[in-house]
Amino acid sequence: MSGMAGLDEGGPLFAQVADRLAGEIADGGLAEGERVPSTNELAAFYRINPATAAKGINVLADDGLIEKRRGIGMFVTEGARARLLARRRAEFTERYVEPLLTEATRLGIDPGELIALIKDTSSERGGVPV
Amino acid sequence: MIKVARYHLVMPGMFLGLPWAILAGVFAVNVARGGDHFRGGAVVIFGMFFVTGVQRVGRWLPFGLALGATRRSYYAGTALLGVSMSLVSGLVITGLQAIERATGGWGLSITFFRVPYLLNGPWYATWLTSFVGLSALFVYGMWYGIVNRRWGTLGLLAFVAVQALVVLAVTFAYTRSSGGPLLLRPAPGHPATLSALDLTGVIAALTVVCLAGGQATIRRVTV
Amino acid sequence: MTPAISATGLSRKYYDQVALDDVHLTIGARTITGLLGRNGAGKTTLLRILAGQEFPSSGSVRVFGSAPAENQNVLRRLVLVREDQAYPDFQGYPNFKVSHALRAASFCYPNWDAHLASSLLTDFGLRSNKAIKSLSRGQRSALGITIGLAARAEVTLFDEPYAGLDAVARQIFYDRLLADYADFPRTVLLSTHLIDEAAALFENVVVIDQGRVVLDTAADGLRGMATTVSGPVLAVNSFTEGRPVWERRGLGSQASVVMVGQVSGEDRERARSLGLDLTPLSLQQLVVRASAGPAGAGSLTGRTSA
Repeated sequence: MSGMAGLDEGGPLFAQVADRLAGEIADGGLAEGERVPSTNELAAFYRINPATAAKGINVLADDGLIEKRRGIGMFVTEGARARLLARRRAEFTERYVEPLLTEATRLGIDPGELIALIKDTSSERGGVPV
Repeated sequence: MIKVARYHLVMPGMFLGLPWAILAGVFAVNVARGGDHFRGGAVVIFGMFFVTGVQRVGRWLPFGLALGATRRSYYAGTALLGVSMSLVSGLVITGLQAIERATGGWGLSITFFRVPYLLNGPWYATWLTSFVGLSALFVYGMWYGIVNRRWGTLGLLAFVAVQALVVLAVTFAYTRSSGGPLLLRPAPGHPATLSALDLTGVIAALTVVCLAGGQATIRRVTV
Repeated sequence: MTPAISATGLSRKYYDQVALDDVHLTIGARTITGLLGRNGAGKTTLLRILAGQEFPSSGSVRVFGSAPAENQNVLRRLVLVREDQAYPDFQGYPNFKVSHALRAASFCYPNWDAHLASSLLTDFGLRSNKAIKSLSRGQRSALGITIGLAARAEVTLFDEPYAGLDAVARQIFYDRLLADYADFPRTVLLSTHLIDEAAALFENVVVIDQGRVVLDTAADGLRGMATTVSGPVLAVNSFTEGRPVWERRGLGSQASVVMVGQVSGEDRERARSLGLDLTPLSLQQLVVRASAGPAGAGSLTGRTSA
């Protein structure tokens, strides 16, 4: 499906559009109070049906991440970024930290050792010292 | 209906001008051959109207339907246009005939527009006869176009065959009842003749038959 | 709200075959719906009946609430673009040109937009003074598309309108269709067998097979519903354990399985760690499956959140 600027067949298009917009907000590409691209602009960019784009926008609106300002368009709400980042952290915790702890416990590594392990690995990689 | 007429006139030159161009061509040949080669050659225009009638359905119908015309309105619009053209063309023929008479055959004793028997009388008769005649042939041609569209070549053959049978039947019946064939000119020993005006009446009746027939046939045509 | 198009028990039979068989269909106003299916499935017949160019054998069809055949009120607001449209072209006469066709269309469609028409001609590289009989197949298609879009008819039907058009021209068509639809929403029904190209345009898809509707659902509902999982046999089996599967293939130590169900983020992580490749089935592949007979269609409808 060429020309869809990165959308794929892996799932509903509207969800992918919503995810991308959310990603932009979380990354700071779309600042709070900034105007979100309109349905038609999104449809033209991704070369998809405007109704699909509208559905994606509605997902974010229903979530309170963007809001409608009459006659002007959709704008990123205050605190949207913070909420998304918090959500990402929660997902990260659930997806990576919990299993890590579970596995560590299984191997007999206590949290203190685990932290040391993380620090060592991080400096080996040349990362930011914790 | 108006839309249909406008559709046909999208190329005005073709519809309006062509029959005349052909006529002019035949006329020119007539003159070139020196004198009165084709007596009453103006009848050529009748043939042209027939052909145009066929074409305006055969060729023009598919796109007309695609543009959203209903079959009924397509038929009515096309027929109306043809009949109007016949009215105007008849007038033109009458005019040319008058000039021909006045100039003694265009100075060359040509009888192109004075068609023996058919268009040789007073101006109003000429106009009426040519109007009816051209209309008849146009509508008749339309019917052929429709039959072809709906039932193809086989249908066309059947159509012609049915007409031939009808003509035979009528002639047979007439001959039996009046003791002699129907003639156009008085001849010794034959009882009945048909004047040009009477013929016009018959043709007018046939035109109505064609109109009804064409309308009925077009109803379920698909392109 | 009255749907723009509806068919109930619609059938069309010829002497030797059944083109449409008991079709029930509803198409909402101002949506773009894909009409999909194999060649000869009945898509063309359906579209022609909707446009009043063909007559049903039984059942009913309604456009804007009334039957379209011989109905001026409906036909004025509807346009059908066919790949085999016949224009008045003939030998030896003054030629019927592109400009004539456009002029005729301009007085038949109340919403006709001449600017759009001429810009489309430019996009497709079509000159308005060209005789239609001298056009290539692709150019004829471009003309049909131009008329279809510039008519801005409330119901716009396309029957595989891209014959002879190359991929670039087809993309121009899709882009222009979307752009004009965004400005002037209308009900669009696009029949095509190049499904993946146009897939992103559709809000809904209707799949016809052998004259029957086998699928009628939201396009997004289908996306991601099945995925091909491939890689080492053991890893594939472990990954797909307990999940419904449509197809299994194997060659030596490699296997490829079509697994049903949405793939989550965790699934993706797991697949990656197992060294498996995940490729979602495209809309085209899903439609092919739906057209593979009642079993195929059933497996899709059972899973769809329409």
